[in-house]
Amino acid sequence: MKKAPFLRSYTLFYLLFLYSPIILLPIFAFNDSKVVAFPLAGFTLDWFREMLSDQNLRIAAKNSLIIALSVASVSTILGIFAARASVRYRFPGKAPLMGLIMLPLVLPEMIIAMALLVVLLSLNVPLSLFTVIIGQVLITTPFAVAILTSAFQSLDKSLEEASMDLGETAWSTFRLIILPLVMPGIMASFLICFTISFDEFIISNFLGSGQPILSVYIFGQFRFPAKVPSMLALGTVLVCFSIILLGIAEYMRRRGIAKAGGKDSGGFL
Amino acid sequence: MTFSDDRPTMIEFKDVHKYYGDYHALRGINGTIKAGEFFSLLGPSGCGKTTLLRTIAGFEDISSGVIMIDGKDMAGVAANVRPTNMVFQSYAIFPHMSVEENVGFGLRKDPRSKEEKAKAVAEALEMVGLKGFGKRAAHALSGGQRQRVALARALILKPKVLLLDEPLSALDKKMREHMQVELIKLQRQVGITFILVTHDQEEALVMSDRIAVMFEGEIAQLADPETLYRRPATRKVADFIGTMNFIPAEILSEAGDKVEVNAKGLGHVALDIAQAPEKTGEAPVVGLRPETLTLLYDDQKAPERETDGVIDEVIYFGDMTYYDVYLGGTDVEVRLSMRNVPGRPVLDVGTKVRVAWSPSALVLFR
Repeated sequence: MKKAPFLRSYTLFYLLFLYSPIILLPIFAFNDSKVVAFPLAGFTLDWFREMLSDQNLRIAAKNSLIIALSVASVSTILGIFAARASVRYRFPGKAPLMGLIMLPLVLPEMIIAMALLVVLLSLNVPLSLFTVIIGQVLITTPFAVAILTSAFQSLDKSLEEASMDLGETAWSTFRLIILPLVMPGIMASFLICFTISFDEFIISNFLGSGQPILSVYIFGQFRFPAKVPSMLALGTVLVCFSIILLGIAEYMRRRGIAKAGGKDSGGFL
Repeated sequence: MTFSDDRPTMIEFKDVHKYYGDYHALRGINGTIKAGEFFSLLGPSGCGKTTLLRTIAGFEDISSGVIMIDGKDMAGVAANVRPTNMVFQSYAIFPHMSVEENVGFGLRKDPRSKEEKAKAVAEALEMVGLKGFGKRAAHALSGGQRQRVALARALILKPKVLLLDEPLSALDKKMREHMQVELIKLQRQVGITFILVTHDQEEALVMSDRIAVMFEGEIAQLADPETLYRRPATRKVADFIGTMNFIPAEILSEAGDKVEVNAKGLGHVALDIAQAPEKTGEAPVVGLRPETLTLLYDDQKAPERETDGVIDEVIYFGDMTYYDVYLGGTDVEVRLSMRNVPGRPVLDVGTKVRVAWSPSALVLFR
């Protein structure tokens, strides 16, 4: 292999640029100073204490958790139906229908948020966590469909036929054979939809009617310099939380492959 | 070979048609499969043999006609309540279950106690030669073992009919030959009707009591292996089963139960009407299997007829030698096979030879 010092340093610089800001989060979260700047002043847990005692932050976190869990559940369930239908059945208008389901993936989120806001207001639907959930489901469902379609596609059709042949009904076949085999896909879909929803900003801001939602709340707090360190503490918690979630997702994925005896063709990690 | 004659009927097809959109996959299937029979559906890929098998299992609806299993019309009867079980080409072993969970899968609604079911699973595993494999993970099995699990899983339900969709095609040659014999033994042991789908004519001949040869959605011939081999009903069947030489012929006369033909290179032959299956309207040819032709050495005399020839090609197989021979100074070339026994040297290309043959081995297609 030829040596390419430029490419090597480019790669290093790229990775540094990508990740060093994230590394700064915990550094300043434990720094004993209101000013986010070097040199570091000393170690403190005050910002974490402040974060925990923030009543509004707790409400925002709770709301975000409710939204993310609901969005992940709803879009994964919708994704199961859509993926199953698109993989196993032929019906008229399937291609345009699947296209429409996947469209929000490339549609600017702003457009969806604005359009939904106009429609909801003209229908006199009060804005609430519920309307945020509806909007976010629209955004996350394409991700769920994409992940679950590949999970259903790798399922051998004769497994279902074998189960029917051995006396099971369509429903018990789904429960005993299909569901366990696509479970890793379901878990992956759930976790990714959860993550997307959890840090989603535009729809939360447009359709949340000022309800404290974590992403919106964090953005608001950055207006007050005194609040920044405790937000960095929150960011640190969220980074750890994300790493744990990703770890679980990867563990489930590998376990699923091992269980089904397949070959590992790479994953997220 | 009268095994199947006096058996009760297990499956009956009455004018079965199957369309996929415009594609006519099954074109009027008629026939019966007898109880306890090892029956094969043989044909090239795309002939409808797998479709026919799947209509028996209930995975495909038929467009018209009737399929009866054990005297009952199967119209509207779902796959999960039919008295049939299937061994899939891919074996369809449930990858997230152990061997014994796979084998016991069909017993889920069985009212027997847990212990009795476990005993049944152990017996089924022992029957297919997998004693002690129950706790293994399904994905840790070899191809041959997976197939045995698939067999045990289907047979544990004691179906009236076991359907096998090309079960040996994924195995290597040695394993395949071994499993052929095992399947025959197993079928004798359990006495269940086996229906095998295969494109391998040798496999069908070895294993079956009777064979239905299918082309393009129709059964071309339904017969026992020997009849199929010795008296194929059409030139196409003859060509598909084993090797056959086709020699252009002219029909001289047909009277009573005799047909007289002039076959190029062989001369005038009087055939029994049994050697001439129904007319299909093709140009007349006579068919001869390679092993019914014999090279005469030195002063050997032909028991019936003989014809001169010249060796054009020699193909040495160890135990056998195949010779391609031009007959009687014509451009008609036939392949014949000779066993390489002591005192019978392998001859060279260009050698002038005498070929012995018997009129009774001929089949006339017209």
